[in-house]
Order: sequence, then C-alpha cells, then structure tokens
Amino acid sequence: MSRSRTFANVIIAVAFATLFVFLGFWQLDRAAQVRELQKPFQELPLIALSEISTSSTNLSGDAVNRIVEFSGSYVTQYLAPKQTVNKEFETSEWSVALMEVDGGGVLLVVRGEGLIETPRGEIAVKGRLYHRQFEDRAPEATLSSGQLRRIDPSLLLAEYSGDYYDGYVIAMSEERNGRQIVESSRVSADPTEPTVPGYYWQHIAYVVIWWLMAGVVLFLLLYSNGRERRTKGELN
Amino acid sequence: MALLAGVMSLLLWFVELPVVYLLDAPELAEKVKWIPFVHGYIYAFYVLTAIHFAAKARFTVRQMIALILAGTLPILSFIAERRVARNYQ
Repeated sequence: MSRSRTFANVIIAVAFATLFVFLGFWQLDRAAQVRELQKPFQELPLIALSEISTSSTNLSGDAVNRIVEFSGSYVTQYLAPKQTVNKEFETSEWSVALMEVDGGGVLLVVRGEGLIETPRGEIAVKGRLYHRQFEDRAPEATLSSGQLRRIDPSLLLAEYSGDYYDGYVIAMSEERNGRQIVESSRVSADPTEPTVPGYYWQHIAYVVIWWLMAGVVLFLLLYSNGRERRTKGELN
Repeated sequence: MALLAGVMSLLLWFVELPVVYLLDAPELAEKVKWIPFVHGYIYAFYVLTAIHFAAKARFTVRQMIALILAGTLPILSFIAERRVARNYQ
C-alpha cells in the first residue's frame, strides 16, 4: 500500500472514529435529559407571561410548564378534537380561544372541554404554558370549519393575522372585572410529560454502540495494516 | 449471535417501528418499548463476535465491515450466518 493511501486511510478512520465518539456523547446527553425529566416535577412560582415569553419568538424550554398570568380579550374560538385527557388515553374535544394579549400578541388559550361560550371584555387568565403540539390529533379530512387538527398557532396564521405567541396555555382560572368566571369543564393542566424520545437505557445502549463503532474503526485500521504486513511476509 | 441479532432486527423493523411511527396506538407502543434497547445491546455483542470471528478467519477489511453491517438488516444477518457457517466450518 502506498504511503499516501495509508495516510488517507488513517485520516478517514480518525474522522469516522471522532464522529462516532461525538454521536456517543450526543446520546449520553439525551440519556441525561431523560433522567432529568424523570425527576419529580417542581412547581415554580406564578409569573407574568411577558416575563418568560414574547410573541413571534420560539418558546424557551424554561418557559414550558410554568404557570403564567396575563390578560386580554378573546377574539375568536376553535374546537380541538381528540385531545388526550388522561393516562388511559381517553380523548375529548377542547374549546380553544384566541386571545389578544394586553401589550401585544395573540395567544391560544384552552378554556375547557366541549363547546363553551367565550366571555367578552377584558379577561385575566391564570394557566399553564405548554409547547405547541407537533402531531395532528385528528385527520384534516375529518375536520369541519372552526376545528383544529392540533393546537399550534402556525395553523391560524392565514386566518387571523397577528404576532402569535408560541405554544398555548391551558387556563386554570379566568377573571372578569375581578370576579372569577365559573367554568366546570376546565381541562386538567398537569405538567407536560418528558418530550425527549426514548428511554434512559435505550440511549445508553446507543452510547455503547457509537463508542464501540469508534473502537471498531480504529481496530479495522490496525487490522488492515497488520493483515497487509502478514501477507507481504508470507509472499517473501 | 447472528440469529439473535437477526430476530431482534426483525422485531425492530417490523414490530416496534411500525407500532411507534405508523399506528396511533400509544398503549401498544408502551408494550414494545423494550425492543430498541435490547436490540442495541445485542447488536453490540454481535459486533464483537463478528470481529472476533472475522479476525480469526482472516477476513479482509471489506468482508469484516460487510459482516458487521449485516447485523443491522433483518434478513441479511441470517444470510451472512449461513454463508459464514458453510464456508468456515
């Protein structure tokens, strides 16, 4: 084997080994994230929406699951069918209202199960902030007008122009003129489950595989050189 | 080892992946969640076994890589196992 070819093989092997080592670290990081998310949830104090999120920007990971307060007026309402309501995977239709938030921006607020009359005027809301839904809950073909296939502000951009807040809020309470709006069909606003796909030992298995692959690539380089030397020796 | 890796690949490709990504069945997905990581660990052992065997049988680097990659596809590991058993027994 020529020197330049040997050098090229070394470069390729080291590049692959480095890539595999980094992929192993990436999986190790995901395993750590899964473990972190499995820890008991710790509720943080109530915070104003404007302090942790702004319209037209992506929702930060720290903002998800926070209980927020904000006020504004509802402008329109939608229904979101097939929303999971418990760990037995039972579903129901949610009433989702679009609120023009004081200070600017529009935000989706889940007000309760079923069709609920939207209150008029200035409403103060307390609720938990969630990331927008990524997967459709109901196929688009089965939906009628005013129904959402998932709770995602990007679906409404064509219908209602405005600077949308990312994510949505499940309302825990609403007040108008300092008086509580009684709503019996509120949706349970439990903290969202871990969103990192996979399981701890699954990610650790991938760490083992990637680092093993890094070792294999380096071994193959040595094996290839050793094999060639042996073959040359046998020929001589 | 190749047979075991092959069976786990079959389960991964034709059971776990369709259940998780094609079916809307979260309860079923919960039941098959063990498949990917058992497959991961078995494949690691498969790789070590393949390297040990290939080095003893003085395979070329290409043959060795082919044997390692055969463990990632469900049917290929069975074919590789049969071929290797026939040629090197």
